[in-house]
Amino acid sequence: MPRPLSVKIAIAVAFLVAGFVVLFGVGLKGSLVYYLTVGEFLERSGHEDLGENYRINGNVVPGSIQKDPRVPGARFLMTDGARQLAVVYGKETPDTFVDGSEVVVEGSPRPDGIFMASTLLAKCPSKYEAQNRKGDSYKKPAGQGGPPASPGPVPTPR
Amino acid sequence: MADFGTFCLLLALVASSWAIIASYNGWRVQSGELVLSGERAVYAAWALVLLGVLALEYCIHTDRFDLEYVASYSNRALPRMYKVAALWAGQSGSILFWLFILLSYSAIVVLLNRRKNRPLMPIVVTTLSVVSTFFLVLVNFMTRPFVRLSFTPVDGNGMNPQLQNPFMAIHPPCLYTGYVGLTIPFAFAVAALVTGQLGDTWFRTTRRFTILSWFVLGTGILLGGWWAYVELGWGGYWAWDPVENASLIPWLTATAFLHSVMIEERKKMLRVWNLSLVIMTFLLSILGTFITRSGVISSVHSFTKSEIGPVFAGFLGFCVVVAVGLLLYRLPDLKSEARLDSFVSRESTFLFNNLLLVGAAFAILWGTLFPILSEAVRGVKITVGAPFFNQVTVPIAFGLITLAGICPVIAWRRASARKLLEKIQIPFWALVGSAAALLIAGVRDPYAIVAFSLSVFVISTTVMEFYWGTRARQKVAGQAPAAAFLSLVDRNKRRYGGFTVHLGFMLIVVGVTGSMVFKQEATASLKRGQGFALGRYTMRFDAIVRQDDPNREFMGGRLAIFEGTRQVGTLTPGQNFYKAGQNPSTEVDIRSTLRDDLYLILTGFDPQEGVYTFKAYLNPLVNWIWIGGAVLIAGAWFAMLPDLRDRKRDVEARLREIEAHAA
Repeated sequence: MPRPLSVKIAIAVAFLVAGFVVLFGVGLKGSLVYYLTVGEFLERSGHEDLGENYRINGNVVPGSIQKDPRVPGARFLMTDGARQLAVVYGKETPDTFVDGSEVVVEGSPRPDGIFMASTLLAKCPSKYEAQNRKGDSYKKPAGQGGPPASPGPVPTPR
Repeated sequence: MADFGTFCLLLALVASSWAIIASYNGWRVQSGELVLSGERAVYAAWALVLLGVLALEYCIHTDRFDLEYVASYSNRALPRMYKVAALWAGQSGSILFWLFILLSYSAIVVLLNRRKNRPLMPIVVTTLSVVSTFFLVLVNFMTRPFVRLSFTPVDGNGMNPQLQNPFMAIHPPCLYTGYVGLTIPFAFAVAALVTGQLGDTWFRTTRRFTILSWFVLGTGILLGGWWAYVELGWGGYWAWDPVENASLIPWLTATAFLHSVMIEERKKMLRVWNLSLVIMTFLLSILGTFITRSGVISSVHSFTKSEIGPVFAGFLGFCVVVAVGLLLYRLPDLKSEARLDSFVSRESTFLFNNLLLVGAAFAILWGTLFPILSEAVRGVKITVGAPFFNQVTVPIAFGLITLAGICPVIAWRRASARKLLEKIQIPFWALVGSAAALLIAGVRDPYAIVAFSLSVFVISTTVMEFYWGTRARQKVAGQAPAAAFLSLVDRNKRRYGGFTVHLGFMLIVVGVTGSMVFKQEATASLKRGQGFALGRYTMRFDAIVRQDDPNREFMGGRLAIFEGTRQVGTLTPGQNFYKAGQNPSTEVDIRSTLRDDLYLILTGFDPQEGVYTFKAYLNPLVNWIWIGGAVLIAGAWFAMLPDLRDRKRDVEARLREIEAHAA
């Protein structure tokens, strides 16, 4: 009977599984981030220490985006509909980042309460359906007259 | 036309339901007529859904903006090509498209097996039709593509400019073709379990479907990365976003299956494992659709939170219960006919390859679902960031790469350690040599050193395998080297196709490592005439570029690119401002070479003072990812071509069947 072989394999598999567990543990340790709405974050940040990094979900307050053309990034307010949070982001913003867009920021709060975001995600194009459903607000064609007759050029892909 | 489409989809639901009833009962009472009727119902459902798809395309092309779907995703000015692509730009259209691909596969399977695998086919048709009926229920009652608005807008919203990119137009069809194709091996596995015909027919029949789906899914993933890279303007191609993960997880388990099925073929081992892998892969592809469509996990790609979430979860649960139940029911019949002969054998490298791949899939799944799990358990959403995925997958990838290097040189059954060491000598010194060379060249990052030298190891064992094979053929057949090489790969398409896939994969590893570890970036605010430097490049801002088109205005800066003092080209990053009022879109410009990519973004400008801010990334070796992808695709195609051996086997199988009938 090839007993020793199956034992050998069992040991190797056990090592592998143990390795996975260690990898999981080590990997999870540094990368868990609380995912909160603006309101939840403001409520919690006053009371308990949840760690250093947070991921916060909300919408950009229309008109609040301030950009300096010389420096990438933006300052803006985000809201969950009730409360607001001031955010500073220091890298170039995605194209989907505009007034009202849904954003997820990750980072940590400064002592003065301003949130320093190290990553910023704004919802991708496929999301448009939701916005349309809300108000059935279809955009009028450009200009006041009829629709443009000819199809536009293909945007330049490279 | 819209009513016609709705009608077709409703009829297709009837046809598909009939296919379930007829095929299943036909199998139970062994009625050839019922089985045939079920198969014809599959053709009918396919044709009806095709008509539904054409009806929707017709509405899109004729600008029927009274339909909500057309108004949401198309507009008058949209170029033809993207009007075709608008079919899969939104939720209801993409589910319809998904369904169409599934039925196309089903029809092909029915056609190809009209005289083969007759005992399995009724259950195969039943399984496929259950899945299509589920999607038909969705398009008929939940995500209806032909819903009318209460008014007719003058023009549609149009497709988001970022999606108007050729890669983006073919990325979803690739992903879907891959995802959906994985249903075929699943259906045959279920048929094998139900009928008790647990031999090798089910996986032999579906081998090509599996490889096809596997590499099309892989291509889809790569195209998605490429699109993100050229279009999104953050200089990267992969972000461990839930939707990206959802496509990668079934791809990993499918990869595991493609490897372990070879063991079953040769040794009749790992039978339960293979069935489980196929079932798991299918369930994960449904789970992937669920993640993409339901909005349960926050993602940059996610569609609106919709009511189809619970329905998907229910279907997934149903599939799990049926599949696991069947597997348990047949467990006693699935004893391995052989055992591993030795710890040092190719079989055991395949075994560990499988454990690593499934481990990686599980880790990524865990990380992706963590927010849901933590919310369920602790009431707080906790997400897992990219560091987790990197820390877990990189060591696993190193393990896989090492196995890919050892696998070709290790013998089946029982490898002698001496022979193995002999064969591995040159690759081993290549590994040591390249690690030393990297250290001397000043590379200190341990990940980079390990990844590069392991890649050299794998590439050298693989290339040597081609070399030894050619030598052997030269001796045996007395052919010239080139002829020997060609006849070698021609006789073993699967083996050498597979090795080519490994080579492509290693190029991808090299590209990913280079661009992850050695990425450099710089930002500068410049007036005309000023410049900045990054790596070996110097950029000088020469001119402001404006282009006015009917539907957009382009604003950008032209920069002259210098390598040393020699000008090597110009790049014009900028932004497009769309007149239809959509968000401006960043248009990056890239100077791409085999050594690295210079990736320029215009991040902002101040027209009053004439100050433009540019961000530059230098992404080393990133081109090798796409080149590796092309090599991988070529290898996979080659592996799918019919082999002499396959034909012989097919003929033998046919003969056996005839004999059985005669007896």
